[in-house]
Amino acid sequence: MSEEIKEMPDNPMERDKYIPEKFNVLGKRGNKRIDGLRKASGKAVYTRDIVLPGMLYMRIYTSPYPNARIKTMDTSRAEALPGVRGVLRYDDPEVYNRRIPTLMGGEEDILAGYAYFQGQPMGAVVVADTEDIADEALQLIEIEWEKRPFYLNPKDALAPDAQLARPEWFPESNLLPLFFQPTNVFAHGDVRKGFEEADRIIEFDGSRNYHGCPDAEMISGITKWEEDCAELWLHQQHVYEHKWMMNQWFGIPMSRVKINAPYNGGMFGGWNWIDYSMVPQYISALMAKRLGKPVKWLLNRRDDFTFGSLDSMQSEFRVGFKNDGNITAVQLKSYFENLSYEPGLHFLENTKIPNIESEMYVAQVNKGPTHAIRCEQLPPSFALILVFNHVAAELEMEPTELALINDGVDGEDINSLNEFKKEHGFPVRDSLKECIEKGKEAIGWDEKYHPPGTKKLPNGKMHGIGFIWDHEWDETRGAGMAAVIIQQDGTVNVIATRSDVGVNAESTYCAVVAEELGIRYEDVLLRQQDDVHLPLMTPDGSCNLTTNSYVMKKAAKKAKRQLLELATSTIHLIERDVPPAFPGLATDELDVENSVVYVKNNPSVNKPVADVVRDVQGSFINKHPYAGTQNTTHTPVYAMAYHRQGRLGKESGRQRLCRQAHFCEVEVDTETGDVEVTRVVNVNDVGKALCPEAVEGQQYGGTYMGVGRNRSEEHIWDPATGVLLNGNLIDYKFSTFLDVGPIDTIIVETGMGLGAYGTVGIGEDVGTDTTYLLHGAIHNAIGKWVDHGPITPDKVLKALNKA
Amino acid sequence: MEKHAYTCPYCSETFDALENLKSHMLQAHKTDPIPRPEGVIRLTVNGEEHSIRVEPEWTLYYVVHDILGLTGVKLFCDRGACGACTVILNGRSVLSCMTLAIECDGMTVETAEGIANKNHPLVENYVKHHCMQCGYCTPGFVVTSKALLDKNPNPSAEEVQQALAGNLCRCGTYPQHTKAVLETAQQLAEQGKEAKK
Repeated sequence: MSEEIKEMPDNPMERDKYIPEKFNVLGKRGNKRIDGLRKASGKAVYTRDIVLPGMLYMRIYTSPYPNARIKTMDTSRAEALPGVRGVLRYDDPEVYNRRIPTLMGGEEDILAGYAYFQGQPMGAVVVADTEDIADEALQLIEIEWEKRPFYLNPKDALAPDAQLARPEWFPESNLLPLFFQPTNVFAHGDVRKGFEEADRIIEFDGSRNYHGCPDAEMISGITKWEEDCAELWLHQQHVYEHKWMMNQWFGIPMSRVKINAPYNGGMFGGWNWIDYSMVPQYISALMAKRLGKPVKWLLNRRDDFTFGSLDSMQSEFRVGFKNDGNITAVQLKSYFENLSYEPGLHFLENTKIPNIESEMYVAQVNKGPTHAIRCEQLPPSFALILVFNHVAAELEMEPTELALINDGVDGEDINSLNEFKKEHGFPVRDSLKECIEKGKEAIGWDEKYHPPGTKKLPNGKMHGIGFIWDHEWDETRGAGMAAVIIQQDGTVNVIATRSDVGVNAESTYCAVVAEELGIRYEDVLLRQQDDVHLPLMTPDGSCNLTTNSYVMKKAAKKAKRQLLELATSTIHLIERDVPPAFPGLATDELDVENSVVYVKNNPSVNKPVADVVRDVQGSFINKHPYAGTQNTTHTPVYAMAYHRQGRLGKESGRQRLCRQAHFCEVEVDTETGDVEVTRVVNVNDVGKALCPEAVEGQQYGGTYMGVGRNRSEEHIWDPATGVLLNGNLIDYKFSTFLDVGPIDTIIVETGMGLGAYGTVGIGEDVGTDTTYLLHGAIHNAIGKWVDHGPITPDKVLKALNKA
Repeated sequence: MEKHAYTCPYCSETFDALENLKSHMLQAHKTDPIPRPEGVIRLTVNGEEHSIRVEPEWTLYYVVHDILGLTGVKLFCDRGACGACTVILNGRSVLSCMTLAIECDGMTVETAEGIANKNHPLVENYVKHHCMQCGYCTPGFVVTSKALLDKNPNPSAEEVQQALAGNLCRCGTYPQHTKAVLETAQQLAEQGKEAKK
């Protein structure tokens, strides 16, 4: 068994070498969600719900101007308001001109005396008996401002005569250094040569407006001090890192920081990365220390519109291709707002296009920070999808055919990818072909596909059908640890930190343990360990099960080894020996299934796990088989495991093997510009679906989020004042139940994922790619391109020359 | 034990029990014999009676969530746009963040906790069909669905969608709710048939 554990790959390029021939738990439908009842009944607790004895409430002032500096500030009226217990000003010595480290190695002003976007938390905080009093006090703060010019468009911010958008941080220029990549030109092959080889060259442009992530639960946090020990309640995915940050901020040992991780009401990365979700935690700690009471910081719904997704971008495309569909060159130039991610990457990672060149510029604009919301790979998905849409239309070729012609990796075709599969132990299957065949059949592609702008429906609307493909997410990375303990009644606990964002990870961790340990699924329960911490890598983050299943698997295997050793070993006590449950047998002669230990070559000889682990001494007083008294031996089966899965998951040479395909139908009203999404078919190769219902949940949910982003989600600023106009959930529209027609969810399982059991993540795939789902379908409906997202009715009418 | 005589202050009629005097005063004189302090409301929440002193600006959400500690009502949009704070108030689904508590005197309130405590099959079907991801909006959906089934025990899929169109779910679990509600309707219908036998 130790060899089996050893066989698990440490190299994320290798396939899991230990995949059972038969699954008893994983992949089965009907494994009950552990968080289901508590969430449906309203009994699940979120940070927003928590009230501690004596707790005070902290609110932060937000800037009314998009680029301004405080000249003078008077907080005396706020301080005098009854119920106000403390005010912290930007010019207080504790915080003046201080920046603090945040996640991902960044840093931010603790409390800035300036603002670079309207709505920026800055200037002052008020701590009061109630949230309402704190809000009222904020209104009483009087500030004299120095207002400065502001920029909402990156090209304006980068103009030669532009003034500085954030002079306190970037005093030289509004051109920002790159974060995710070393240079502003990403190149593969030779685009000049690629264009020379092309039969045809097309040029077009596309853009995405700034959009955000209003989470369901408005973000908040609590800090409480007990002497020099800090206790935090966090609405965060990466809770463990807050131990480190408290260490950095206050110099206290990480061993003296307790983390509580209640359920998270949404997250999607998003706030998790944004510094303004971390700085308030520091300030609440500061004020809790000063005031001697727990302090809860809260953002309101408007505050929650502080940040946006990093696909706020404007791109110009030039594409060369042959008449047979082979794309020979892709060149693009992009402008981003505040942060970027390389938009040319998916051409390299998912296609055989030999010549790629992507140039990008990131401008500091007077909008809130941008980061990964659901995924950082929105820009490369956007670029890939638009390029394939346009080339297919130009060639009058079926888009599915064009995808299959250009599928590949690193400029090489699918055969090169197949070699990689063979060399690294993966099955050799054509993932894209399988996805396309299933998707075409489900949506009735062959009957419904038509030339652009040619199918008018009886209701007067134009019918469109679209297809997109990609492999948006394949990363497996990071490290995690967890423990497994068998209780004396044979039930099992997984001990780990649960930082849940809803992808059913908690249940699936238990399913992995049940599978590997041979215990009934219903006998396994995750117990939240949020004190000293056993962090599962980015719990519920980008690489959840692909990494953490290895952790659970290792822990379960170790526990199983201990269980079988216990089942076959004599325990020597002073006055007697306690015989094993299976005397005279070796561990490899036994196995465990359905919570029963049995002899492999004679399964009729068996004992429940409970009988094997039960207190071997028993009660010396009452003769009960179990004794919760001093002489109990307690269960000896406890195993902790750690697994590290590569570094970034993007190491050079590590290929993406699985694919995803999405199909949709739309009806476009050419009088109003309204687009109705009447059908979506998602086909995802997830390698192995450990919990099919949860996979489908991501397919459904990703579609609703993606379609909403594609059609209506955007922050709208007043160009005259730089004030955000729709920072609320009435004017900022994300999808409701009625905004997407029926959704088909098709799961493909090629086993070619890089995670445990051949899994590959899905949580980020669907929501990212379907953000660009409708462009091709709308072109198919009206014969015009609408490549500037979101696709609002006015843009459709403009494409039709009606606006 | 000596019997106390309780005398009506309005008509001097006497009663041998305090409860009888109270009933008499309510019926004959239309007045509460023990007037409540100003601002106190009576609420029956999930079958339990509460007498709570409220400020005029307090919302029903605040009373149910913060005073009574029922976390099934959630603050999501904070302005009546999302349905996460839905409760059933005297048989109607309402947004508790948009309802003043002081106007709810004498009313009954049903929350997701109450629905779950009664073992309503809707809750089990919500779990079965994975109608939750982060779960923050889920109790609001459960309450809205329960209100639908109370009024329309046999809804079509389209009626379910229409009924739940005012509830926002950022995780996009919407299609799974239809499955849960329709299965619940079917189960309740079967239970009704069994009960009639």
